Amino acid sequence: VSTAAGPGPHAVNPEPRLRAVAADLEYFRAKRLEPRVLHLVRRGVISLNDLIHAGRKTAADRTGHAAPATVEQRLRVLEDRLDAFVAGIAAVTVATRSGDVVVEDIRRERGDYDPFLKIAKRTYSGSVGERMSQLERGLADSEELLDAFTRALLDTGEITASQLGQRRRELRDQGHRNGARLVARAWVDPGFKRRLLETGREAARELDIPPGRLGKLGVAENTDDEHNIVVCTLCSCYPHDLLGDPPWWYRTDEYKHRIIEDPRAMLAEMFGLEVPPARSITVRDSTSDVRWMVLPRRPEGSEAMTEDQLADLVTPESLVGAAEPRTPQDPA
Amino acid sequence: VTGDDGPVPHRYSVGDLVRVRDDRPGGNPRTPGYVRGRTGTVVALHGRIPNPLDHRGRYPPLCTVRFALEELTGRPSRDFVTADLHEDWLEPARSAS
Repeated sequence: VSTAAGPGPHAVNPEPRLRAVAADLEYFRAKRLEPRVLHLVRRGVISLNDLIHAGRKTAADRTGHAAPATVEQRLRVLEDRLDAFVAGIAAVTVATRSGDVVVEDIRRERGDYDPFLKIAKRTYSGSVGERMSQLERGLADSEELLDAFTRALLDTGEITASQLGQRRRELRDQGHRNGARLVARAWVDPGFKRRLLETGREAARELDIPPGRLGKLGVAENTDDEHNIVVCTLCSCYPHDLLGDPPWWYRTDEYKHRIIEDPRAMLAEMFGLEVPPARSITVRDSTSDVRWMVLPRRPEGSEAMTEDQLADLVTPESLVGAAEPRTPQDPA
Repeated sequence: VTGDDGPVPHRYSVGDLVRVRDDRPGGNPRTPGYVRGRTGTVVALHGRIPNPLDHRGRYPPLCTVRFALEELTGRPSRDFVTADLHEDWLEPARSAS
């Protein structure tokens, strides 16, 4: 075992993460998903039998989760599945054909004002291994309910597949909107720009954007002399907790390979972005420790625009340096 | 999470020439293959980054190292690649050629 270099096999305490998974799972199950199901059942929008029928169909599509070996890996899988579960609940939280659900009704439904209506929360106890198994089962149960609920809404025509797809896209783009707002603020406020470049995630708090927790945010500023482009050659690291998903091609091997081999040709051929010879290109290879975004140059002719209008010019592609922002003459 | 991610001194400073080691010290694999054995310049210091979702334990301090593309591909270019590397992968280097 090496002693001079490297971290060595150093066990991280799983307790805080385990508690967080349990708390989040129970919160989203008992406060978001199940009250919504009950609300629609009570009003006859869907029936319990619709859920049973839908559940039969979705059960056939379900694939089992292979149990990973280590505590660390199991925790990670749990966290990833929980993220997907939470996103899935948000995706079906839309107006149905029968009408919208008012948030205030859901608060009543879930017992915020009357403990009699509260949905019981499950408890998890025992050793780390035992609780992990309980959480895996509990999450699988809740995933199954969410799948059946989603399917029942689609099968009864209460929501449409295109509505659902649209909603998923909107949720994904919310992240990109965070990046656009950071960029627009940096364009209009030099003090904020300095803080963003120096402190990364911390500066996001100034815009009431949750700073996220995935390592450090690196911000590469484009200038007249330098164009930055972001990649993660080892996997697909990206500050997605802050900026949403990167453009789809970001994960492709072709992009990862060619951007290092010949970034200038790659930008021109794949993205139609001709960088003048006098402007150097810097490829920022991200890791999970420092996840990079690009601060693009403010477009010419945008002097009179408001911060909100400026944010509309910032595209997901411009946040990784594969494109310039839109121009004021050609907005969204 | 453990609260032991205090400031740690860097072995390198901004402007230092460093060579990326070819072997795999300490088992941390997060150094791209194409920079191994190559020489670059330290351009930013990040200290020790707490990253409990990714790290098994505490990793050494991290530097952003800038490589001339020419050094990586052997073809003439004025462009650059930066990679964020833990110090256990780096050793001091003299001038690149």
